[in-house]
Amino acid sequence: MKILICIKQVPDMESKFKINADGKWYDRTDLAWRMNEYDEYAVEQAVRLKEQVGEVDLTVLCIGPDQVKETMKKALAMGCDRGVHIADNDSHTREPIEIAAMVADFAKDKNFDIIFTGMQSQDRGSAQVGVMVAELLGLPAITTIVAFTFENGTVQVKRELEGGGKALVSAAIPVVLTCQLGLNTPRYPTLPNIMKAKKKELLTLAVPDLSGIGACQETAACYFPERKGSGIVLEGELPEMADKLIHLLKEKTGVLA
Amino acid sequence: MEFTREIYWNVGHGFTTLAPMYGLLLVALVVLARGCLKRLKVYRLGKPLDRTDQRGERVKNLLDNVFLQTQVYRVPGPGTAHSLFFWSFFILAIGTALIVAQADFTDLFFGVKFLKGTFYKLFSITLDLAGLLAIAMLGGLLVRRYLLRPEGLITKPDDALMHGLLLAILITGFVIEGARMAVTEMGTPLAPWSPVGLMTAHLLGGLGEGALRTLHAGLWWFHLLLALAFIAVIPFTKFRHILTTSANSFLSDLGPTGKLTTINLEDETIEKFGASGLTDLRWKDIFDADACTVCKRCQDRCPAFATGKPLSPMRVVNQIGEIAFTQPEANLIDTVDRDAIWACTTCFACQDICPASIEHVGKIIEMRRNLVLMEGEFPGEEVMTAMEQTEVNGNPLGMGYASRGDWAESLGIKTLAEDSEVDVLYFVGCYASFDKRNIAVAKSFVKLCQAAGIKVGILGKEEKCCGEPMRKMGNEYLYQTLAMETVETIKGYGVKKIVTTCPHCFNTLAKDYRDFDFDIPVEHHAVFLEQLINTGKLRIKTDAFSCTYHDSCYLGRHNNLYEAPRNLIQSAGGKLTEMAQNRDQAFCCSAGGGRIMAEENIGDRINVKRVRMAVSTGAEQLVSNCPFCLTMFEDGVKGADVEAQLRPKDLAEILAERLVD
Repeated sequence: MKILICIKQVPDMESKFKINADGKWYDRTDLAWRMNEYDEYAVEQAVRLKEQVGEVDLTVLCIGPDQVKETMKKALAMGCDRGVHIADNDSHTREPIEIAAMVADFAKDKNFDIIFTGMQSQDRGSAQVGVMVAELLGLPAITTIVAFTFENGTVQVKRELEGGGKALVSAAIPVVLTCQLGLNTPRYPTLPNIMKAKKKELLTLAVPDLSGIGACQETAACYFPERKGSGIVLEGELPEMADKLIHLLKEKTGVLA
Repeated sequence: MEFTREIYWNVGHGFTTLAPMYGLLLVALVVLARGCLKRLKVYRLGKPLDRTDQRGERVKNLLDNVFLQTQVYRVPGPGTAHSLFFWSFFILAIGTALIVAQADFTDLFFGVKFLKGTFYKLFSITLDLAGLLAIAMLGGLLVRRYLLRPEGLITKPDDALMHGLLLAILITGFVIEGARMAVTEMGTPLAPWSPVGLMTAHLLGGLGEGALRTLHAGLWWFHLLLALAFIAVIPFTKFRHILTTSANSFLSDLGPTGKLTTINLEDETIEKFGASGLTDLRWKDIFDADACTVCKRCQDRCPAFATGKPLSPMRVVNQIGEIAFTQPEANLIDTVDRDAIWACTTCFACQDICPASIEHVGKIIEMRRNLVLMEGEFPGEEVMTAMEQTEVNGNPLGMGYASRGDWAESLGIKTLAEDSEVDVLYFVGCYASFDKRNIAVAKSFVKLCQAAGIKVGILGKEEKCCGEPMRKMGNEYLYQTLAMETVETIKGYGVKKIVTTCPHCFNTLAKDYRDFDFDIPVEHHAVFLEQLINTGKLRIKTDAFSCTYHDSCYLGRHNNLYEAPRNLIQSAGGKLTEMAQNRDQAFCCSAGGGRIMAEENIGDRINVKRVRMAVSTGAEQLVSNCPFCLTMFEDGVKGADVEAQLRPKDLAEILAERLVD
């Protein structure tokens, strides 16, 4: 069995974000980097599948500048067998279809049985790459999975639906799955595996020809949400607070008019 | 008359006495030696470790701990009784040896007798009183063990045998002496030099000489057999502690106190980290189990045990011994139990008080290392998250690394990147950098330094966690990664001196980093500020306040710094009311050993217990010297519902509030 796991390196969300010079993305200085949270679920699920089935080869793929190799090493330490890095310093400017095209270009002749991706990235959050990869490869895609089993060439997953509902979906491999929070708890790599990861194959490829992929979107601007008025906490005895509330509603809203 | 006595009186000094006597002694010694060798084989299951270096220091420890009983009598009551018993029994043993030396050696071969005259009188009364003292102390210990039965004291058949055998040896000794005196010494000026013997002689006075002689001879042989039995059973009973505990004080860890072994992560031949089986431990760890006297001192002081967690340092040590001698293949971690392994705060109270030089903490860390490095296991998901946060942002709180120095904005201090010409580097630590309550401590410290004209610099966003909580939690890999980065960063600036406001950072930079060629002097702020006051650079108003002081484990037991903080409190005008458990007996706040990253969800809360101890002093402020302690106490005053009565404070805050303008 061959499995592909697509991961992305994203800034830690606690970082101090600044908008970059062209105003279309965040500035890279003072950021701490890590694996996209949803991609960690993807890696973990793939490694668990390998532990279940045995004869599985796990390829982890990541697109971005050279520094993404650090994040790839974590995936290798968690249990992926080999890494493929598509070196692209402009990855942050790519729209989802371009990223999906790069993944599909790599995967098209490799006969992967399952492609795991995160449900979305924590920074751009388009949630499109996984499904577009499936479309480009002509594979079924099941998104936002929160449970996964595999038996006799069929995957059975639970999808998260709006309003907390779940859908039970099954599909025969090959299939693309995008992973959501709740699917699993990613493991902490053991030291022997960290050591082994340093010696695993990590191939760097150039960005393939994307000329056939037409641009569909354009990022106009990137900005912080405007600070809106803050909440008010009323204090005091109940009748007093009720009076204050009525006063506020009259003064600032039209609900009592 | 010549003051002496006939050795071998009534039993004879011929072949029929000496041959069986020395024959049996030889048998006893052979049994002893075989028993010891058998155990030695088990110790050898452990990994090698050199504990025969620095012999002078080791011999001194041996003399201190064995002959002076310094560790033993630290605990009044049972400790005192054991020390007195040891000394008196030791005197009796020397007395017996002198008798043998004269009768079977100097007199036999050279006709030299030294047990005579004034020396004999002193010899006689010393041994007599030693015997009495030994019986009294043994009796006291017997009452404690069998009647008072202190909580947690484990009594096994071994103990009955030991008490019985020793008592029998001592009592038969006096009866033999009494019988002999009743026949030979009554009314002589020598008699009063054996007051207990004389009293026994009076009690036996009613018997005729024939009966006394029969009794004497019979008991003499019986006493000899008991004494030889005592020697023979040493390796098979808790008597073995006479050898193992003594040896352990020679083999003890010579420090620095509490310093863990640093795993060589460059060594690619190591495939297994930490300990999951007996053979992963060092031989000393197995030997420790044999040196344990089950005195439960460690257990009595363990904050985890005291709050209902499944950890007893004594039990851990004994479990290691048990599997070593019964099923060495057993899984160590399953035997000890994960919850017990995770419960340790590395407060060092166990190891500090142990009279047997046992190293409890290192064993627990070895098991943690195995769980973390080999299994990726943690006490809870929150700990794993904290580890991951530290990998990404260099702090377990998960705050963005770039904002690490934000607290110092507008304080007029620079990062070393901006200006590296400073008097001291303030290694702020994670809590004082990011935690609101502890930022107040950092600001107070900077204020004090500035008032004293000290130019302080910080690393700002270049600073990372020193790695202490991760290391104590078993994550040696993450610790070493952080340590090497920190060493490189600090060394790069040519820093002359480092001050920390955290005893964990202090301990790590000052001790642990020595393994990474880091030798820049490091001080904890308590010591640094005391010097500033003593040299007149820092002037503090005495403004009376009432407080109690909590000795953090890592400033106290781990670094033996008890007075500097108290001097600071005094110079600020503090009226210090000590908690019952202070200095080396201080009760941990719960956050050491990486527990600051973990939820405490078994048993009672340690911090609340400590806060209650502080409240009972009636003091208004609970002063400590550690960001973890402060955090736990801020939480503890809420848990104990005493927020209005007791205010947790750091030393730096107490002083900064009283700066002379």
